[in-house]
Amino acid sequence: MRKVTETDLPGVGIRFDLQTDAGRCVGVVAHQTGRRDLVVYDERDIDRACESVQLTEDEGHTLGELLGGSPVLEHLDDAVHRLEDLVISWVQIAAESSLAGSTLAEAVLRTRTGAGVVALVSESGSIPIPAGTERLNAGDTAVVVGVPSAVKAATRLLRRPAD
Amino acid sequence: MHTGGDLLVIELGALVLALAVVARLARRIGLPALPLYLLAGLVLGEGSLFEIDASEDFIEVGAEIGVILMLLMLGLEFSTHELITNVRRSTLAGVVDLVLNFTPGFVAGLILGFDPIVAVLLGGVTYISSSGIVAKLVADLDRIGNHETSVILSVLVIEDLAMVLYLPIVSGVLFGGSALNTTLTVAISLAAVIGVLGVAYVLGDRLSAIALSQSSEALLLTLLGGTLLVAGLAGRLNISTAVGAFVVGVALSGDIVSHARGLLLPLRNLFAAVFFVFFGLQVDTSLIPSVAAVAGVIAAASVVAKMITGWIAAGRVGIGAPGRLRAGAALVAHGEFSIVIAELGIGREHDLGALAATYVVILTLVGALLYQFSDALFAAGRQRRHRIRRLGSGGRSGRT
Repeated sequence: MRKVTETDLPGVGIRFDLQTDAGRCVGVVAHQTGRRDLVVYDERDIDRACESVQLTEDEGHTLGELLGGSPVLEHLDDAVHRLEDLVISWVQIAAESSLAGSTLAEAVLRTRTGAGVVALVSESGSIPIPAGTERLNAGDTAVVVGVPSAVKAATRLLRRPAD
Repeated sequence: MHTGGDLLVIELGALVLALAVVARLARRIGLPALPLYLLAGLVLGEGSLFEIDASEDFIEVGAEIGVILMLLMLGLEFSTHELITNVRRSTLAGVVDLVLNFTPGFVAGLILGFDPIVAVLLGGVTYISSSGIVAKLVADLDRIGNHETSVILSVLVIEDLAMVLYLPIVSGVLFGGSALNTTLTVAISLAAVIGVLGVAYVLGDRLSAIALSQSSEALLLTLLGGTLLVAGLAGRLNISTAVGAFVVGVALSGDIVSHARGLLLPLRNLFAAVFFVFFGLQVDTSLIPSVAAVAGVIAAASVVAKMITGWIAAGRVGIGAPGRLRAGAALVAHGEFSIVIAELGIGREHDLGALAATYVVILTLVGALLYQFSDALFAAGRQRRHRIRRLGSGGRSGRT
């Protein structure tokens, strides 16, 4: 996936910028209220939003689908969701992770951290409720659910080499 | 049958209607309305054609509520976590902002022979940009997506936080009395502010859950009652009602915030207008001609200082020259906080009211125009530089 720069806008939300190969810059402002602004930056003054289109949350999702957004892309703006005390997090499996390449059964993530993998998302498609025989391939995204501390521990294992 | 009540309602009706005309006018010419309300207050003040009399007490209370609601809404925009990360990230910009912009007011105060503490107040007046006006300008001009906007907002957040420490300290010094008493008041108020912020950090979610209600009526009353109570208590402790209200806003988080914003916005708009009118009413307009020149000089110094602040802060995150200019221009507008600070010192120094009012009106209008047209200014500047360069090279080639 392309590099997306993320900038906090205190009191407003978060801004995401994407630099295209052709030298243009586009961005999305994700407001705390759910509103999304699609922003196109000026060619000559790259910091200036020359066009800014207000989208509702629903319109934003539709546009995302039209642009061929995978579920990962769609949720990039809120990679961590909170539901009461539960956290859902989209974690990209790092090549350096000691778990990369192992099956879910071998990784025993739930026993080790308390957090479970409820879906695996890869280029070839996504696997909801993966069986123990599914592999944690580097570059794929694991959807992890659990209490915050458990998700944090699982994220660490999926991103960093064993120490 | 005439009672005082009728007269009050008639006066209020006429006043609010007059403000409505001002608001429409402001919209038409593309300027923020708040400084124009202040101008309206100046026009309606003592010795003017239409003297406000019956509704004066009501307006005074309304103004107090206006400050509280403005600060509550400001606090609602931020969570404690956001505030902390922001301070960590933009400390340098915050320090540059403080040093460059506190100085003009403070020095001017000393030169004018004010009390040192009143000079500190004037420094505060020139230090703080108007979060309310700037945020509105950014939204109105559709510049939320601009890269420099995050820088502008960060600087504003740090300024607002600085106020949370500044206001209790200066109120403590102003109203504390003896040296020992003052130290004690300042210590107590700072401890209280930090304590409340700490409680908000730990218990914010739970407090918000308790306050949340399905009935918007119950929610509105809870919010208003709770905030007035806390703000009032803060005022009693010399922490300043403004800081009390801000802290309540910061403490609330989660679902309650969006509900609260929707419910409070119309009330805020009304009472904020009343606040600016009230300040205008209080100012002795006969003093304005004598302070106008000084206000103009301080305002000019502030324009330069804020432009440099924005230029440096935006430059640090790699923003180009036009964006750096926009960041500086955005920070020029001063407003509600400057007035809140000036109001503290009116009792000590009679000129301060007229000075601050003139200063704020000048800077909001200049700031709004600068921010709107900074791109055009930049283009004009570049053209001129080109022309000079071309002339220069033309001269050389002529000689050879």
